[in-house]
Amino acid sequence: MPPSGSYVSILHARRSVYWAAAVQLPAVLGLSAASGLPQEPEPLVVLAASSLQDVLPAVAEAWQGSRDAPVRFSFDATSRLAPQVFRGAPADVFISADLDWMGWLEERRSVVPASVRPILTNRLVLAVPSGAFVPLDPQDLEDPRVGRIALAGEDVPVGRYARAALELAGVWERIQDRVIRGGSARGTLEWVARHEADAGVVYRTDALAASRVRIAFEFPSDGYPQVVYPGAVAAGSGNPRSADAFLDFLGGPEAQAIFARSGFGPADALQADAAAPGAPERRFTLSPASAVRLSLFVAFGAVLLGLVPAVAVGWVLARSDFFGKTFVSMVFMAPLVIPPVVTGFLLLAVLGRQSVVGGFLDAIGLPVPFTILGATLAALVVGFPLYVMAVRGAFESVDRRYEEVSWTLGVPRAPTFRRISLPLALPGIAAGSVLAFARALGEFGATVVLAGNLEGETRTIALAIYSLLESPTGRGAAWTLAVASVVLSFVALFGFESLSRWQRRRLEDHRER
Amino acid sequence: MSAETGSLYARIRLPLDAFELDVEWNPSSPMVAIVGPSGSGKSSLLRVLAGLEPTAQGRVRVNGDVWLDTDGGVYVPPWERRVGWVPQEALLFPHLSVRENLAYTGPAASDVTAVSELLSLSELLERRPRFLSGGERQRVALGRALLSNPRLLLLDEPFSALDRPLRREIATAVRDHAREHETPLVLVSHDEADAALLADQSWTLVAGRLTQT
Repeated sequence: MPPSGSYVSILHARRSVYWAAAVQLPAVLGLSAASGLPQEPEPLVVLAASSLQDVLPAVAEAWQGSRDAPVRFSFDATSRLAPQVFRGAPADVFISADLDWMGWLEERRSVVPASVRPILTNRLVLAVPSGAFVPLDPQDLEDPRVGRIALAGEDVPVGRYARAALELAGVWERIQDRVIRGGSARGTLEWVARHEADAGVVYRTDALAASRVRIAFEFPSDGYPQVVYPGAVAAGSGNPRSADAFLDFLGGPEAQAIFARSGFGPADALQADAAAPGAPERRFTLSPASAVRLSLFVAFGAVLLGLVPAVAVGWVLARSDFFGKTFVSMVFMAPLVIPPVVTGFLLLAVLGRQSVVGGFLDAIGLPVPFTILGATLAALVVGFPLYVMAVRGAFESVDRRYEEVSWTLGVPRAPTFRRISLPLALPGIAAGSVLAFARALGEFGATVVLAGNLEGETRTIALAIYSLLESPTGRGAAWTLAVASVVLSFVALFGFESLSRWQRRRLEDHRER
Repeated sequence: MSAETGSLYARIRLPLDAFELDVEWNPSSPMVAIVGPSGSGKSSLLRVLAGLEPTAQGRVRVNGDVWLDTDGGVYVPPWERRVGWVPQEALLFPHLSVRENLAYTGPAASDVTAVSELLSLSELLERRPRFLSGGERQRVALGRALLSNPRLLLLDEPFSALDRPLRREIATAVRDHAREHETPLVLVSHDEADAALLADQSWTLVAGRLTQT
């Protein structure tokens, strides 16, 4: 079973940054290969589209078998890798999932133009979860038994191929309301495997490699632009000769046989389909205004939804002592330290349509994954520790003896809470709300896993910026949103500071004279 | 016990303290002072009587009502004891004005006016506690307790922040009010002069036992 899931692609993106740093570190420190360390052959660094994740290592093994030249991979969506190559990631070879991104790098002289060559071809299929309704052709997607249809992101090659295929089949207009957009090709497939989508348009090779999904049909090869994987030597490669040799090896019979076993087509199939339409045009729909609106809505929603639970948990942790209190406190604090992507993954497991809770919510018309509710819940869970900590601190700062005085005056616990504890802690509770609000504004990791990255539905500021950074044309809008994000965060933090000051002032019952 | 007399009986063990007391008072003037040096446990004795020490073991009986009986499984919570606890630090509710503090338990407006006149608080009614002097805060705390219709008043060094002349005046006012409402009153202080201002009988607390002085 391949390690797949949209969170994986993010982990990969992060890892590639880490090893980029690791690879550059010796150079930064002024070390060199000649500094007396044992002579290890420089590994060849290959950045490749995530749909090649399962097959390329096997090919690399064959390559290493014949020479003493290790290969290191970083797999991710092409749209994330290409900008990394452009920014000078220490890569030797780049293998893209489409010609567009390769052309983009060629224009910028980030790859050696003469080295660009087609390496593989792939096909588009419709994948469905095992046990679900099986459409037999694109027209069947209009069947009411098909609910959500998963596609990769607008700027991810397979996402654009898929849209082109659905448009050419003439069904796009009628099904586009039910389309949900994921990140990478693998992430899309994971949604299908989890029954979060009833169908997904993915690469044939990905579908073949995945368990829990089956291929419903293959899109006709003249029904969408040719899916070609071009490879090239990165302009910044320290080892262009070896990189070129590796690309040659990928085109050779030994490697092509391995590719064929995984379901890829040979590069020379390219000419046979000359009738196929040209590359899909780039349509990038992203509204910064909608992202800001959505972020504010999600953050407010998270704060309101969390208010009563945060006050309840904060109160109990501040005032009660019971067996297991440390453990309870740890559970509520956990999202602070667990990587948000993992939190999102766990939430998807608990609230996905396949789960008991998620299934129930779905049945009463409150589906969580890929909805604004999902984005709100993700933001809430990740911000909850800060919320609870602030509320608990506010209650702890209230002298318990005020409550005791109230009791002895004949006022029981509940009205004492309402008339004394709550009003005295109110500024601190408000400060906690503002802090949770600020954290919700910045939430990314859990949201992208639980709620995806859907324009107008779950694409908040952070997700929009992330999408824009993957787009060659998105820099300007990314700056606009980055500024909006920083401004909002500062406004929220200023609110937090003011409210915290008010909390301290409120509890003064006398002035130092 | 006769209907004419009231009584306070307590035999208590705390993790760090133990008390035993058995006091009778005359209903027409039920003022008891307990004097002891600081550290003798006076404040925690009052907290036990108020029902604020959940670790207290033993028996507490006031005017024939059992408030605590660990063996018998009896524990009357503080809001049912209604003891009108006036802690030394006053502990006025900081978010409420003087008037709102006095009216916390919902007394008649005329009673609030009467008590604020009695304790010379009429000028201060709209102030917040943080704008009051220590003595003013103590008087508001006394007024708040008097207005809560307590079954017993527990005063912890209630005059410590007042000037000498004012002490006598306030003590007399509290004493008259308590007599009028037949509210028994237990005052603890380290100062015998303070105790004498208010109480008919004075006891000394030594090693958890009371001896009459």
